[in-house]
Amino acid sequence: MTPPHAPPPHAPPPHAPTASHTRDETVRELRRMLSRIESLHIEGVDGDAPRGLSFGLPALDTHLPRGALCFGAMHEIAPESEADLPAAIGFLISLLARAPGAAPLLLILEARGIARNARLSGHGLNTLGLDPGRVVLVETANEKDTLWATEEALRSGVPAAVATTLGVKLNLKTSQRLQVAAREARLPLLLLRPPAAENAATATTRWRIASSEAARDRFGLTTRWRWRAALERCRNGRPGEWILEFDHATHRFSLAAALADPALPEGRSAPPVREQTARRAG
Amino acid sequence: MLADAADTASILAVNRAAGAEGLAPSMRIADARARIGFLQVRTHDPEADANALARLAHWSTRYTPSVAPLDAANGADGLFLDITGAAHLLGGEEKLLADLARRLAAFGLDARLACAETPGAAWAMARFSRTPAPILAAGAEAEALAPLPVEALRLDAETALTLRRLGFKRIGALMGQHRAPFAARFEKALLKRLDQALGRVAEPLALLAPPAVYLARRSLMEPIFTEDAIVEVAGTLMHDLVPALERDGAGARAVRLSLYRVDGLVETLDLALALPTRNPDHVTRMLKLRLNRIAQELDAGYGFETLTLAVALAEPMQAAQVEMSAAGASALEATTRLASLLDALRQRLGQHSVRRLEARARHTPERSETVTLAAPQTLHWPPPRSTRPVLMFPHAEPADVIALLPDGPPQRLTWRGRHHTIAHAQGPERIAAEWWSMQSPAPTRDYYLVEDKAGRRLWLYREGIPGREAAAPRWFVHGLFA
Repeated sequence: MTPPHAPPPHAPPPHAPTASHTRDETVRELRRMLSRIESLHIEGVDGDAPRGLSFGLPALDTHLPRGALCFGAMHEIAPESEADLPAAIGFLISLLARAPGAAPLLLILEARGIARNARLSGHGLNTLGLDPGRVVLVETANEKDTLWATEEALRSGVPAAVATTLGVKLNLKTSQRLQVAAREARLPLLLLRPPAAENAATATTRWRIASSEAARDRFGLTTRWRWRAALERCRNGRPGEWILEFDHATHRFSLAAALADPALPEGRSAPPVREQTARRAG
Repeated sequence: MLADAADTASILAVNRAAGAEGLAPSMRIADARARIGFLQVRTHDPEADANALARLAHWSTRYTPSVAPLDAANGADGLFLDITGAAHLLGGEEKLLADLARRLAAFGLDARLACAETPGAAWAMARFSRTPAPILAAGAEAEALAPLPVEALRLDAETALTLRRLGFKRIGALMGQHRAPFAARFEKALLKRLDQALGRVAEPLALLAPPAVYLARRSLMEPIFTEDAIVEVAGTLMHDLVPALERDGAGARAVRLSLYRVDGLVETLDLALALPTRNPDHVTRMLKLRLNRIAQELDAGYGFETLTLAVALAEPMQAAQVEMSAAGASALEATTRLASLLDALRQRLGQHSVRRLEARARHTPERSETVTLAAPQTLHWPPPRSTRPVLMFPHAEPADVIALLPDGPPQRLTWRGRHHTIAHAQGPERIAAEWWSMQSPAPTRDYYLVEDKAGRRLWLYREGIPGREAAAPRWFVHGLFA
């Protein structure tokens, strides 16, 4: 485990300090074009309020362009191994729950079930802070239908976010089509991939999720789920690795700073980076 | 030529050529063979006959939606078509009959047709009239039926025979008689049939399908084969239906497209929609998606020559409701758009592939929720009360568990062939079976949230309280936590 990155100040584009004024301008112009092409809002280019799924964690959000998993882009989530699939799904669901508004969320799954026959549970989604009433489950028979349904859902502009499970293979053309559909719809598209999946070339971020021991109170009761979240790739941002905590009472993320420190005894955790929020009783 | 393969083989039906040779039903096969050397005999297959008749009935709905195959009392060998209000579409009754005769002849069917005001009269004229395809004017039934034999009244063989013995050979002979003696002698059958034929009492028909209130029809000059052509014609049909739907303030929740093949088969497509709609574009798009999905199954044969579009289920629809507030209008629009997305997904992926989760007021975990067909309305969920796994197994999977005490928390777990050492076990959460809804009560379950060394979290339960409900409790994995 690598120690979590200290929250760095937002890194400005690395200009050569001696560069001429015209070169600076050219670079800025190029960046502006790039951002327009990729429909990504780089800070300072567009004055809009950030539109994205934010973790609410400065330490993590600063790694992402504009401080959030931006809309109109594709985000790839893969478990580290087959056994970490529930953790990856938990991560995906808790992110989906942060989609604003009350518009429906589409989950497109292959009909044979997840992790050998398991089904998403409404009460389980509720536990992760996602209102199951918002969820529309779409079951598809094969990958062709999955891709079609994903594009259809994005193009309709109805849902607040779309999450899709995709198989191992993903060719460049498909990946580009999905990216274009997400961009035009200005919606976040979360892809859940198998552990050994080929990377989606056009994904804006790629996350690898593994389970980690839950945080417990002094009576040994689970208080927060923990996941090892690695941001392996981030366009216009910086990769990183964190032990992410999710509090299933307040539905907030925090960072398990202490666990990464081998000097502390196991099972004891220092207060997370973000100050404690009021937790519901029980 | 049809023959009945009963104990003594006798003729059941003959074709025209055999009839000309003097063969008739109920004649014995042996006699017939003796008379004509080159007799072809086919065994009677009632089921195939019934199927063929049903197929023909479906095909006949291209003329009118009200088609009734003849039941056993009527001979089970023909169809009633109620062409009230439908004949003008083909330019009148003569043209309709001529068209029908031509098409049936093309199928190789030797049909007898008649048109009359009452089913009884039409039945009689079709069978016993000397002119081909007669059309009876209203009120002319008595005159036309009078010279026909009494069998033309759809009587059973016994009644007909008795009448003949009594000297009543023609229907005309019965008409002038006092009714009372007949009523006493022949119960209701005879007089009822007579009254039905003359239109004195109504005769309800057992229709193939109730006629749709909203129906549009197109007959094409040239048969069509391609998906695009079908979709285009269906679009114009839906356009035709819109004024009627608008007038009634209704929208289509389910539509049925019937495609009539040149060779007499009918293909039907049923589309169910999430919200009532009057939008032809939406309907054609749904149709296109459906045709995409079933392209292999749909057999165009020699092409489709007639298409009908019927609204199978119409529901009231607010006529372009004017919302006072912008929020209300956008909510209404969002619902409509969601409905069309759900429709589209459903047409392509199948009716049961788009679902929503619905909470139920039950505490057994597998019964506490259900999946329902997705509706555009949002379902209400109570706020979470207890921690539940994000993934659940519909059928809990058995696992081998080692616990220090029979009723203690689990220590080691073997599930799906893998060993897990349990680092933390939280529980038990005791969930009793629903004793009120079962014959024999199921064992109580003790649920544990366990975490192994790698931080994987499972939801286990022990079935039966050790020592009280079960001697050796069994363990199951019921879900996976995130």
